Amino acid sequence: MQGLPMRLPVLFLAAATAALAPAAPAAAQVDALAVIDRVDRLLRGDSSRGVATMEVVTEHWERQMTMEIWSLGTDYSLVRLRAPQREAGTATLKADEDIWNYLPKVDRTIKIPASMMGGSWMGSHFTNDDLVKETRLIEDYDVELAFDGDDPDGVAVWEFRLTPKPEAAVVWGHIEYRIRQGDDMPLWTKFYDEDGDLARTMEHGEFTEFGGRLVPGVMDMYPADKPGERTTVRYEELEFDVDLEQSFFSLRNLQRSR
Amino acid sequence: MHPSTWWRIGWRNLGRNRRRTLLTALGLGVGYFAVVFMVGWAVGISAELVENATSLVGGQIEIHDAEYRPDRSLYDTIGGREGADVEALLRAIDADPGVVAAAPRVYAGGLVSSGEATSAGLLQGVDPERETALTRFLDPLVAGRLPATGAYEVVVGEEMARQLAVGVGDELIVVAPAADGSLANDLYTVTGIYRTGLVEFDANTAVMPLADLQALVVLGPDRIHEIAVATADPSLADAAAARLGAALGAAERGLAVAPWTELNPVLTEYVTLVDSMYWIFIVIIFAIASFGIANTMLMATFERRREFAVMLALGASPWSVVGTVLYEALAIGVVSLAVGTAITAPLMTWFYTAPPSLEWLYGNVTLQGALLTPSLRVGYNVPAWSWATVGLLVTALVAAFYPALRAARVPPADTLSGL
Repeated sequence: MQGLPMRLPVLFLAAATAALAPAAPAAAQVDALAVIDRVDRLLRGDSSRGVATMEVVTEHWERQMTMEIWSLGTDYSLVRLRAPQREAGTATLKADEDIWNYLPKVDRTIKIPASMMGGSWMGSHFTNDDLVKETRLIEDYDVELAFDGDDPDGVAVWEFRLTPKPEAAVVWGHIEYRIRQGDDMPLWTKFYDEDGDLARTMEHGEFTEFGGRLVPGVMDMYPADKPGERTTVRYEELEFDVDLEQSFFSLRNLQRSR
Repeated sequence: MHPSTWWRIGWRNLGRNRRRTLLTALGLGVGYFAVVFMVGWAVGISAELVENATSLVGGQIEIHDAEYRPDRSLYDTIGGREGADVEALLRAIDADPGVVAAAPRVYAGGLVSSGEATSAGLLQGVDPERETALTRFLDPLVAGRLPATGAYEVVVGEEMARQLAVGVGDELIVVAPAADGSLANDLYTVTGIYRTGLVEFDANTAVMPLADLQALVVLGPDRIHEIAVATADPSLADAAAARLGAALGAAERGLAVAPWTELNPVLTEYVTLVDSMYWIFIVIIFAIASFGIANTMLMATFERRREFAVMLALGASPWSVVGTVLYEALAIGVVSLAVGTAITAPLMTWFYTAPPSLEWLYGNVTLQGALLTPSLRVGYNVPAWSWATVGLLVTALVAAFYPALRAARVPPADTLSGL
């Protein structure tokens, strides 16, 4: 999470200005912090709007949702389901550290309590916490370059190891983060628990140009403890630096159906 | 001499110093009371813990899908994904002669919310009629009435009601991940508030009719997570569980039939411990009492050393002197037993039938998830009572043995000559 291109709103956006600054080919010494910071900024517009489908596959059921997503900076985002029809209008507002869900069936809004932040978001393998923890990676983690070279496919990559700063309130023991050197595209992120065991893996792929930026068009989240389960988010539309006011991310707007 | 003569001598000797005899008998009698009462109290506490663990919100026996515990997944219903014929199961369970009640249950995790406040909640679906025959927590309610099926009604714990600031008649939003992956949500009316005294349970659990919860979380009517069963007495649960397991074909159908002793092993161990620890009370209390007796008997024999000297001088054997003293001690034991019983019997009967409240001393206590209400409730433990009786008499004899030996070794000539 944290600035990784996996936050749900911005999160799904995972936009990258690949066109921008093709990495210096022969940088003798890679500044890990600088790379992460650059990717983080590039993947995040000041604001964005997009449409994505989310496919959730579990041991017991599979379902697909279509959602419209808006974001403003790191503090605000709004996700509204368009499909399936029965749940259309269900919406999640994230403002600062808080999350509200709007339930159109009962026309009520509920605030997610702190104790449920680790719970699943809309039945997916993302947690409510994934939406909230939009602070940037480099603020919560110490970053070191763990690998610099070609992956088995012959693609030049950086692999970073992120360990939480002592005072950071984060849930992961450490994170491994692989970025393609040629265009700063994130390839995968692996989240480890405090015992050092892999908890989940997020893979990025189908790098597509949206709004003039190359971004990962698809993200797959695989929980390590549930083999065969996954959540896949695929962008259908995505635009950056759209005209959005802070007032758009209000409880009142959250309750506006559709 | 005939034992009855010894006995008469011993008995008469008690009359020489009646005040001392009475005080000694009181000491032993109170010790006897202490043993019986402390064991009784411990038995009362464990009986109440077991009762509350098995009839307040749980059951003496719980039947689940073999996969259900310990993860308690929404999907692991009895009979697996296909579910089971719940009515047939209940009929089969009710047919067992040891079963007094059985109730089906459905569980789901979710959020309950009212106004600004939201908390994580456990949703419990029950058959109100069957549930109230099995457990006590819904009858009586602190306020309101039980929910009616199909009317979107729910009862919540007192602590949940406080945290969410809801009362009877208020609206409650319930959100739960459903079995089909959707985010189930609906509006309910709070019709009642219950209190178990188990703070966590009261804060977390919202109860609604079984069919309503099945509808909310998209489980068919054949899918339930649990059947709780009650027998007439918790001690019958193990045998009843074994019978039910056989009758239902639990092994072939992938069912787990677990008595409370298996569901709550720590409580089971506690009960076993309490049942056997009366030895500790008996040993400690009578050990203390024995020094008091020994002291008294030592005084009594010292005062009468001239008498013993005369007996010995006239040809009585040392063992007959020992016998005199021991018979005297036995007589004290019998008097003590009478005193002890006179103290113990009425108090135990009182505490057993109408336990006084100890609320001024301590509030509700929860131990291993079982509630303990503050009352001085005692239980009868017949073996402990019997052993306390034996212990009392043995104490009297053992404590008198050393004074008796001293009496038998009084040198007659020296003593009688006043040396």
